[in-house]
Amino acid sequence: MAPVLLLWLAVCLSGTWAVDRGNFKTCDQSAFCKRQRALKPGESPYRALLETMELTNTRLTLQLINDNNKVRLLLELYRLQGNITRVKINELKPLKPRYEVPDVLIREPPTEPLSLLSQDENGVVLSLGAESQRVIVSARPFRLDIMEGREVLMSLNSRGLLAFEHLRMRKDTQADPEAEKKEEADPANQAEAAKEEEEKVEDVMWEETFKSHSDSKPNGPSAVSLDFSLPGVEHVYGIPEHADTLRLKTTDNGDPYRLYNLDVFQYELYNPMALYGAVPVMLAHNAQRTTGIFWLNAAETWVDISSNTAGKTVFGKMLDYVQGSSETPQTDVRWISESGIIDVFIMLGPTPNDVFSQYASLTGTQSFPPLASLGYHQCRWNYNDQEDVQSVDAGFDEHDIPYDFIWLDIEHTDGKRYFTWDPHKFATPKEMLQGLMDKKRKMVAIVDPHIKVDSNYKIHNEIRSRGFYIKNKDGGDYEGWCWPGSAGYPDFTRADMRAWWASMFAYDQYEGSMENLYTWNDMNEPSVFNGPEVTMHKDAMHGAWEHRDVHNLYGFYVQMATAEGLIQRSGGVERPFVLTRAFFAGSQRFGAVWTGDNAAEWDHLKISIPMCLSLGLVGISFCGADVGGFFKSPSTELLVRWYQTGAYQPFFRAHAHLDTPRREPWLFGPENTALIREAVRQRYTFMPYWYQQFYLAHRTGQPVMRPLWVEYPQDPATFALDDEFLIGRDLLVHPVTEEGARGVTAYLPGKDEVWFDIHTFQKHNGAQNLYIPVTMSSIPVFQRGGSIIPRKMRVRRSSSCMEHDPYTLYVALNPQRTAEGELYIDDGHTFNYEKKEFIHRRLSFANNVLSSVNLAPDAQFTTGSWIERIVILGASKPSKVTLKAADGQESQIEFEFDASMSVLTLRKPGMNSGADWTVTLQ
Amino acid sequence: MRFLIIISAVFCYGFVDSKKIRGISSSYKRFYRERKSFLCIDGSKIIPFEQVNDDYCDCEDGSDEPGTSACPRGRFYCTNLGFRPHYIPSSRVNDGICDCCDASDEYNSHAHCQNTCWNLGQRERAYVEGQMRTLDEGLRLKQQLIEEGVLLWREKQAQLRELQQVAEDLQIKLEEHRRRKHEADRLKEQTLKALEAADSGLRHQNSTVTSIFELLDSNKDSSITVDELQAKVALIHDEERVLSEDEAVALLGGGRQMDLTKFRHTLWDILTKGDSVKIKDTHGAPGSLVGEDLHLEAADRAAKWEATNLKKVEEAYDTVNMEISDLRKKLAIDYGTDWEFLFLNSQCYKLKVYEYTYTLCPFNQVTQKNTAGTEVSLGKWGMWAGTPKNQYSQMVYENGEPCWQGGSRSATVTLTCGTETALRSVKEPSKCQYIMDFQTPVACQPVLKQRGIHSEL
Repeated sequence: MAPVLLLWLAVCLSGTWAVDRGNFKTCDQSAFCKRQRALKPGESPYRALLETMELTNTRLTLQLINDNNKVRLLLELYRLQGNITRVKINELKPLKPRYEVPDVLIREPPTEPLSLLSQDENGVVLSLGAESQRVIVSARPFRLDIMEGREVLMSLNSRGLLAFEHLRMRKDTQADPEAEKKEEADPANQAEAAKEEEEKVEDVMWEETFKSHSDSKPNGPSAVSLDFSLPGVEHVYGIPEHADTLRLKTTDNGDPYRLYNLDVFQYELYNPMALYGAVPVMLAHNAQRTTGIFWLNAAETWVDISSNTAGKTVFGKMLDYVQGSSETPQTDVRWISESGIIDVFIMLGPTPNDVFSQYASLTGTQSFPPLASLGYHQCRWNYNDQEDVQSVDAGFDEHDIPYDFIWLDIEHTDGKRYFTWDPHKFATPKEMLQGLMDKKRKMVAIVDPHIKVDSNYKIHNEIRSRGFYIKNKDGGDYEGWCWPGSAGYPDFTRADMRAWWASMFAYDQYEGSMENLYTWNDMNEPSVFNGPEVTMHKDAMHGAWEHRDVHNLYGFYVQMATAEGLIQRSGGVERPFVLTRAFFAGSQRFGAVWTGDNAAEWDHLKISIPMCLSLGLVGISFCGADVGGFFKSPSTELLVRWYQTGAYQPFFRAHAHLDTPRREPWLFGPENTALIREAVRQRYTFMPYWYQQFYLAHRTGQPVMRPLWVEYPQDPATFALDDEFLIGRDLLVHPVTEEGARGVTAYLPGKDEVWFDIHTFQKHNGAQNLYIPVTMSSIPVFQRGGSIIPRKMRVRRSSSCMEHDPYTLYVALNPQRTAEGELYIDDGHTFNYEKKEFIHRRLSFANNVLSSVNLAPDAQFTTGSWIERIVILGASKPSKVTLKAADGQESQIEFEFDASMSVLTLRKPGMNSGADWTVTLQ
Repeated sequence: MRFLIIISAVFCYGFVDSKKIRGISSSYKRFYRERKSFLCIDGSKIIPFEQVNDDYCDCEDGSDEPGTSACPRGRFYCTNLGFRPHYIPSSRVNDGICDCCDASDEYNSHAHCQNTCWNLGQRERAYVEGQMRTLDEGLRLKQQLIEEGVLLWREKQAQLRELQQVAEDLQIKLEEHRRRKHEADRLKEQTLKALEAADSGLRHQNSTVTSIFELLDSNKDSSITVDELQAKVALIHDEERVLSEDEAVALLGGGRQMDLTKFRHTLWDILTKGDSVKIKDTHGAPGSLVGEDLHLEAADRAAKWEATNLKKVEEAYDTVNMEISDLRKKLAIDYGTDWEFLFLNSQCYKLKVYEYTYTLCPFNQVTQKNTAGTEVSLGKWGMWAGTPKNQYSQMVYENGEPCWQGGSRSATVTLTCGTETALRSVKEPSKCQYIMDFQTPVACQPVLKQRGIHSEL
């Protein structure tokens, strides 16, 4: 979907091919960011009032006072289960409540006991449970240090950048005698009144304008900010969404990274500008430890990063080392949000997987997608009519390319009225859906959250009559300009609105829908063509709250309500599939995201890797970029390379802008059709592995697509790699993303490990940079020695057609001649796995015996799938191979041995995939 | 005994047949004769015969598993008795979707496939028959159109020749007029030169008024009469005609005669203006002082007159040449081997699709008009762009109105055989790229008929 109305575009952008930066704010143009950033590190005005400390079993509370204006804050500190510390800071007595983000945490996080270790007039030392971890609360100035042993893991307010703009009365409207009386009664407020005279009163505190838009700011300044110091850390990651490298850069010489969900037309790469989604989670890593900071705030947020080693060259660092320079590397991070409170979760790791599970315990894990949604998706803005859909569908069969989903963009609706169909072009949607169902394929139709203001449109009338629209500052329904023209925006922050929205997906409400129709939520930043920065006015109202407070949550709620609708329509049986463009922390629970409106350029192909890696690190595993690039038309080479890359990324969808020529896979000559076919087929052979990885992500919060450092946390060579990645632990992918490439250099990690080329089975040692010559058909992918990957080699029309197919096990031996893997099987589309209807087995190879044991003895599921082939890589030639079945029956298995590559292939062992068995090589 | 042998032979034959290999056509049976072992068809490997169709892929080429889905590169033969036999990829065997109309591909799946071959065959036969009828009728019509095309071609050629003749005639005329204009111009120049040599303006004028009066006053009675006027004065644009009496009277200011004084203020002015009447044969009296001024005027008038005439002829000549060039251009277009497409040249065909009306004017242009009446060009005639075998199967119209994102609109028109000439469908698969289906008898190809008979059934 293009983000902006063509007309608007033509006027504003007149054919240029880059983001118009002027449409989006810099920190300087965002009043609170400018104000906050002007504060420099130094002595903090905040002091902890230790006498106010209260310590219960689970919580410490303490007042902080700003010595400049005497405003008091309340600090709450919790020890949460799983090695997480939560720090909450709010005004002690705010003029009115400040927004605290609901619905993102999956529950009130369970706490663990805190205990006081020591206390004096300078501070308090608390124990954080068993692991010699302590929190030191220093009183003057206030700061927090989290220690383990003698080591400082993280310090808060160590640079004195805690800033909390208390709510205040506007000077020129302070006529209310009641308020004045109150102020007199409160000594703190009295002092504040005195102090405030000294404070420079800035106009922009109560109103600011950007371009032609004015923000009325009735609550005045309300920003919050806090700094975190990370000693020993040189690498920080996360805080998506930005089109930038995996490793975050320091921001001293430019703008901070911005988190503010925006519909950015033709975004630029390698800069900190905000994009469609925001996950305020940062990971910090060094060879000893991984930690995380989750800043739970949904308002516009800026993140500054600085580092004492950033400017240093490798030589400089070496010099430090040789000279024994005392300065340890350190990264300092500072978060600034426009409103709300400070509510921060410090995840203390120590391993990357610990951080993933800590974060998952707070916001939940990746939803377990229907198997088919891991297949290939064919999208375009737009498939014009039913006939078009049918012929594209037939094209896939004719060219023998599998796919699972075909997509319809906005043009399928009746005049951009979502939940409807164009009466001419899509006159009989059920017929079309049935046609797809007959081929075991599915469809996705777009449903955006802007609702056409039209009294003949049922959805609009219902929302208006129920009062579900977001209101403007004057209390009327907020109206903005989007695809349908004038549109209202339902208030998805309301639970009753979301329940109603969900009910609209019922088969009897959403006419023409069927069980193989799924949903795509676009434009949910929300995109408002004529709004400030192409989004909603911050003074629009969601009940008592301003849009300012909830902005980054809007897309999260839209997808939440939509996913709920898809679940409900099936009576809670079927897993939903919903793609969203905007997201927030926790969005992983509702479906997939994509990286928005990219372009058909090589750099956009490259950036798809760090963008999805960054999302994976903060819980959102189901990520993909538009294959081929949305804007512009890719060269054939770029298109092929993008298919090859996309085939190894979690969400695999081709998409194209309305104004680009057709690019279905078979339109570029038989050679390229064959290349694309092969890439897509490779994807399908790995479907069991993808599915298993998503099951794991769903269970543990571990990312499916991972940076190498996650699995090799002690190898600094991996820390900044973002041109290659892992799928799970066992597949390493280094896609070709250079035009005209004749080779790529992949770093194969692991000092004592080996990696097998999945195509040639050639073995390579780990801990080396491997040059791989490539041709147009090359997709450099390696299987880790020591792993077992189940695949299905009978690639069919769609993943559903492969449901009952047999498995081939690829057993890649490590130097110790062992290997481990898993096999997960369920029905692929229902929630019955929650009722223990699945097969989960551990496959292990050791001492020349390969065995399958049940990992979930209490689970039950039957499958017709069997093991058709076992390929053992790095094997030696056995004299005989014996299969022992569950009933003790033994039989010989035929095999073939390829001595040149040391590949042993066991022919048709034939046991059921769900059974116990052992295969012994002798 | 002999009888028994025959029976056993029949029996044996029946036995062999019952063990037939699934998924192969009869022409491949020879590769699958039951022996101890099977040689992959590509010769790459020998496997035990039990491993043929045992649901495990042994041969690189997939030839050991013609009846299962085990081989990635395999294919399965649908016999489809009653319909058309064909191959499907092995991956479609037992995938739960009925591909062969005889249901043979789903012998071990959850799909409940019906044998639909007979129905399909009937439908196909009916369809083919329909197509054949269309083709026959189409070819008949095409023959007519070819004949018409030939006539039309001749007609156009004749038209061209005619136009060329006209052009030739005009050419001659043009030369004549050029000569005459040249002559007039020369005269005018001479007169001008003579005049330049003459005396000053005032005296010249006085004497001239008097001398002209004297010239007109043939009987020298100091008065010009109607007769005298008729004898000496003529209309500029009709020199030959004698002035009527009424005209003469009008020139004399309503009376029948005129003296010098009156002449000076009336007729003299008219004569010097020189736009309606003039002195007859003014340049017949060279050297005479009286005539010099008049000579110049007359010469000038003559030159203008010739220029006007020349321009008219030139215009006519250009018009004819333009027509010739247009016609030549039209005739230069490839209208098929028998000029069968010629008749389309001046026609236009319309089709309404949703809110747009499309108009195809073959060999000219394609346009799109919305309900509001705004018309947009989708392209001008470009070229034939069919297959090397039949280049007349597709037309391309290019350089239509520019598109928002650059480039210009274009339309590709596919010609299909039908009994009527009509625009059948218009699609826009990509923005600004239109695809049209245009049906016409002249697209009917006799080869199609042959192919149809042999391979369709």
